[in-house]
Amino acid sequence: MTKKQKHMLIRILISFALLVLLKAAEILHLVQGLDQFPTGLLCYLIPYLIVGWDILYRAARNIRNGQIFDENFLMTIATFGAFAVTEYAEAVFVMVFYQVGELFQDYAVNRSRQSISELMDICPEYANIEEDGKLKQVDPDDVSVGDIIVVRAGERIPLDGIVEFGTSFVDTSALTGESVPREMKPGSEIISGCVNGSGLLKVRVTKEFDDSTVSKILELVENASSKKAKAENFITRFAKYYTPVVVCSAMLLAILPPLLFGGNWMDWVQRACIFLVISCPCALVISVPLSFFGGIGAASRVGVLVKGSNYLEALAEMDTIVFDKTGTLTKGEFRVSQVLPSEEGGLQADELLEIAALAENYSDHPISRSIKEAYGKTLSVDRVSDAEEAAGHGVKAIVDGRVILAGNEKLMKQAGISVKMQESAGTSVYLAVDGIFAGVIIISDTIKERAPEAIRGLKQVGVKRTVMLTGDVRRVGEAVAKELQLDEVYTDLLPADKVEKVEELLAMERKGAKLAFVGDGINDAPVLSRADIGIAMGSMGSDAAIEAADIVLMDDDPSKIAKVVNIAAKTLRIVRQNIIFALAVKALALVLGAFGVANMWEAVFADVGVAVIAILNAMRTLRVK
Amino acid sequence: MKKKFKLENLDCANCAAKMENAIKKIDGVQDAVMSFMTQKLTLEADDDRFDAILDEVEKVCRKVEPDLIIHR
Repeated sequence: MTKKQKHMLIRILISFALLVLLKAAEILHLVQGLDQFPTGLLCYLIPYLIVGWDILYRAARNIRNGQIFDENFLMTIATFGAFAVTEYAEAVFVMVFYQVGELFQDYAVNRSRQSISELMDICPEYANIEEDGKLKQVDPDDVSVGDIIVVRAGERIPLDGIVEFGTSFVDTSALTGESVPREMKPGSEIISGCVNGSGLLKVRVTKEFDDSTVSKILELVENASSKKAKAENFITRFAKYYTPVVVCSAMLLAILPPLLFGGNWMDWVQRACIFLVISCPCALVISVPLSFFGGIGAASRVGVLVKGSNYLEALAEMDTIVFDKTGTLTKGEFRVSQVLPSEEGGLQADELLEIAALAENYSDHPISRSIKEAYGKTLSVDRVSDAEEAAGHGVKAIVDGRVILAGNEKLMKQAGISVKMQESAGTSVYLAVDGIFAGVIIISDTIKERAPEAIRGLKQVGVKRTVMLTGDVRRVGEAVAKELQLDEVYTDLLPADKVEKVEELLAMERKGAKLAFVGDGINDAPVLSRADIGIAMGSMGSDAAIEAADIVLMDDDPSKIAKVVNIAAKTLRIVRQNIIFALAVKALALVLGAFGVANMWEAVFADVGVAVIAILNAMRTLRVK
Repeated sequence: MKKKFKLENLDCANCAAKMENAIKKIDGVQDAVMSFMTQKLTLEADDDRFDAILDEVEKVCRKVEPDLIIHR
């Protein structure tokens, strides 16, 4: 509890004790006239002012500032009304109860805000810089790119960089939710926000603090609440009309019935007061954003960044999910598994690999890299000229004066070269030398360990359609899709085809349902932005992915998607519960109040009590597993 | 220019929404987000008049929530 809250608690306790004493004295007739004017008013005013003076003060001040219909004013009017009809004890109790509710509400909001910020407590406070053989602590903001920082065991890595010296295991769980520590050795990339486990590390800084992973993540999560969900917008609009409407009806209720039907003025004024107490939309205005905020917090705890409440809402409505294959469902680590020279080419296996590596020299495609890796020796660049890359097909280059084609069947077909088809489950890179088929290199990629679990999990949380898109050939794509039990697979797609395919799938969606696309964020940015929800593999902080996507999986683990869908569904459920519960209780209290059945106590419950219950309910989003 | 400010004594979510709307209406303000949850104000406004606009922001906020402190 803060100092302010403690102070309030003391005021409430004193006031409540006085109220009990007075009421007891009234019932036992110890003091005469406690239920009448003026003795009663004077006595009960003491506990009333102790607990509620600030409400009166604020009401007066806000009226001066032109803000009439706020809670303070409404409570003042309502309690004055009770005093006017000589319900002294009730007036004091309503004020006490209101303050208890406010205090509790304040406390609950503070608590949940704290637990969210603890969740996001990844911000490093200092960085160590070595100066004349001594360590000096400086603000991470003051470290520039190229500086060497020292991270001792147990310290948080303050800036992104590359390890220069030392080996250690670092705990990335704050960023990725992954509990297995990662090994770091000289040359490894290290990202800020992780905790150094065992050894001393010297890190060469590669990014300024403002561009480092930690700052980016914190900014994303903080800004997430500004992208509002439909439910939030509804509440804001609702709140705008609700209060004036209820206050106007209160006035009509106080004036019209006695005028028209000659009822008791006091009675109707009291009913109007009940309306005023109920007229604050606070329960909704607080609990709905709080629920979304909690949901985003819970998601970030499992290593998933959600960039806005609207995406959380969309996830809960998702019924189709489209995966890119490479790097998403498979590891994207290609290894050369077979080198098969053809008879007509007359080359040896290592010769074939060599010309392939040379031809692919300029390409940065994962397949090219794996061929170069398999070749292993340094390549003399001057043997290659006129290298051209055809996206989705392969490369063409001149090596030692001979025209080399390296790519898939489509490339060979275009060039009119007949090849011997390969039936293995890997990716085949066909090679042709001067128009003659020279052989094939088989490259295989492995399915991520968590991928089958990811698909199963998504089916369990109610995703109806799982689709895989790949630029790979049919045989490979279908083998992967079958192993993962995906519903549909589309193969042989060029990057542009993927956008088209996703658009087709979007058109097939029934109204209200959402489609998500999951990619590695490297060359599928257009698809990520075209889908209702773009989910990218964060690859431990790749800027492009974080920028393009709506949701980022920090540790590239597709099984986290089902977890986040779960969190989203639960968050939405809690939001709906709160909206319905708060509206129903308020409507009920309004109706009962108008007919004179509900009294002030029920009205205060409908206002503050509902707010507190809604907040407690909203806080459950933080605890979704 | 876009800048973030920490807020103190922002006690009510409804007031935050009211202030946000009022700030958005100030001349020269492109966008404003007042987050009750993070207790932060993000203000995007014209560069050359930023300080003057911020004074104006404080004025309209004081009307709704007189206890609010904007840490510059």
